[in-house]
Amino acid sequence: MSEKKEVLHVGIDLGTSRSSISASNGQRHVVESYVGWPLDMVARKVLKKSVLIGREALDNRSMLDLHRPLEQGLIKEGSEKEEAAVRELLWHLLSLAGVTKETRANFKVRAVVGVPAEALRVNKQQVRKAMQGAADSLMIVSEPFAVAYGLEALLHTMIVDLGAGTTDFCVMNGRLPTEDEQRTLPQAGDWIDEQLFRLVRDRNPQASVSIHMVRTWKEEGSFVGNSKTPVIVTVPVAGKPTQIDITNEMRQACEGIVPPMAESMLDLLSRVQPEFQEKVRNSIIVSGGTGLIRGLGPRLEQELAAVGGGKVRVVKDPVFVGSDGGLAIALDAPENDWERLSS
Amino acid sequence: MSNVNRLKRQMLRDLVRENVELIEGQPPRRERRSAGFRLTARVLAGVLLPFALLGSTRFISSFQHPVAAPPGRTAVSPAPAGRRAVAAKAAEVASRFAAPTEPVDAAVFPLAVRKVAIDAGHGGKSVGTHTTPLGLVEKDITLDVAARLRKLLEADHFQVLMTRDHDEAVPLEKRGELANKGSADIFVSIHVNWIENRKARGVETYFLGATEDPVLTRLAADENRDSGYSLADMRKLLDRIYQDVRHEKSRKLAETVQASLYRSLRKSNPGLENRGVKAAPFIVLLSTEMPAILAEVSCLSNQQEAELLAKPLYRQYIAEALAAGVRSYADTVEDRPDKPDASQTSKKGT
Repeated sequence: MSEKKEVLHVGIDLGTSRSSISASNGQRHVVESYVGWPLDMVARKVLKKSVLIGREALDNRSMLDLHRPLEQGLIKEGSEKEEAAVRELLWHLLSLAGVTKETRANFKVRAVVGVPAEALRVNKQQVRKAMQGAADSLMIVSEPFAVAYGLEALLHTMIVDLGAGTTDFCVMNGRLPTEDEQRTLPQAGDWIDEQLFRLVRDRNPQASVSIHMVRTWKEEGSFVGNSKTPVIVTVPVAGKPTQIDITNEMRQACEGIVPPMAESMLDLLSRVQPEFQEKVRNSIIVSGGTGLIRGLGPRLEQELAAVGGGKVRVVKDPVFVGSDGGLAIALDAPENDWERLSS
Repeated sequence: MSNVNRLKRQMLRDLVRENVELIEGQPPRRERRSAGFRLTARVLAGVLLPFALLGSTRFISSFQHPVAAPPGRTAVSPAPAGRRAVAAKAAEVASRFAAPTEPVDAAVFPLAVRKVAIDAGHGGKSVGTHTTPLGLVEKDITLDVAARLRKLLEADHFQVLMTRDHDEAVPLEKRGELANKGSADIFVSIHVNWIENRKARGVETYFLGATEDPVLTRLAADENRDSGYSLADMRKLLDRIYQDVRHEKSRKLAETVQASLYRSLRKSNPGLENRGVKAAPFIVLLSTEMPAILAEVSCLSNQQEAELLAKPLYRQYIAEALAAGVRSYADTVEDRPDKPDASQTSKKGT
């Protein structure tokens, strides 16, 4: 007697900073990619949980062995703890979509997981290993491709997925992009955080600043070009809350990402067949959480002026665009193909 | 809309195929060859490899003229008269495949990467570059990075051969011989740069070739100091190996490692310059019979980079970048078995 299982398709964007899931049952969730285990018995008693994930983990970090298990969009190598953290994160995402370890047997989970464009086979194998048991069938795709698929931007388009760990570029020419049509840059949100942290600390040596504070400032006030409003933040200076103006530091840190991005865009454009270059230039789509930097689209368009101009569009829902694309792929893949992809 | 749906269907087919290949542990389709092609390639390789690896014109020269010997070495004698007819035929065949205008396609030789020779530059009395304020010496840095690289590669199931694993002087040509005798598949020599412009910093990777650049000539002369070869000797030798498979694969390896070094290190070293992939006549590369590169992983002449090099974490980053480059190169040229997959093992057991 065979038991009828509910089929659940999910798209997962496993990000360095945030991870999101979009499921066929309508659930959509995003969590910060942090996993923490209570440091000792006392912490366990206080927190009343064996593992904390996302914002909850970040807020209680002083009592936790806290891990951010992804680095540049990939599972950090060489540590069982990081692998365990990724597994916890994946299971947490699935539980938000309605599949817990207890109810897992009732579902047939078809998952599509996005990885950076230049991820190696060994990185993809790591993801497969981490997903073991969590999904019945698994497809691994390049993140910018998932974005392109979800937006149906499949022809003469360039996707720039600006995340926390990496910036991924992908030119869509109506076929699955080859290595030559994709690029991954390490300059992304985390890189901006590091620059901003260094600049603020250098200018305000007495101020107590942490990378987590800097990350929050960036998420709230990042910009390139001119800003109408100054970026003022409050930091403890010798224990006393003090307001400091970090407008210039914010601009400098954020603008640092423009030259490598422009270089990669122009390099990829130069490889597009000449008759289609103008079309691609006029259809550049920026996704990813860091893509929300104010003024980034027009700034990149300025860079494109050197090759005849172009249009850059920033997607409105950058947090879910990757997982939504993954879900679209999952739903479109025929059932017999899913059977071939059983894990 | 139907056009979009058609594109989607095609892409999904390709995507599923790619993932099935991943599950089955196959390399991407474009890297694979049919069985027939492999057989042809093997036969071709059997005939051509000796010519290609030695450098065909060098091979021909050995039948026709004594090879110019470096000082203190014995010249190769011409072939005995009785073998000249065979030699002439062989030379004709070789020349057909090794005409300078038609380099042998490296893709014909699906050489696998199993064993990596790691060469820690300098050692013993050859200290390399050094900086007084921080007490850093090139021979120590290269050995430390080499040891870290060894661990990383072994963890990734590569076999590793070290040309030195402690502070000892190993002659340049001996390093290549060690790699040759140990049947290494690629050779990675680790060095630290010194640039007269003290503000300059960055990474650069070399493969074997002649250069007209006086700066590179001087650099090569410095690195070759203990070899006994003159630059004139080098140029003659280089002319003979230009068109071979090893040359092209060395360039590819250099490009892959350089990209990895720059991509990885600029995160912790924001002012890092990509000084590029270059050809230069290093003796240590000449003596090898496999794709070989020399990576200048940092500049000790630059104060900021010297400070970074003093930190173990930065040296670990360098080793990781080199390992990633090697891995990436291995992935592109062959079907290297990935790490044993615990999940698959347990699956078999159930």
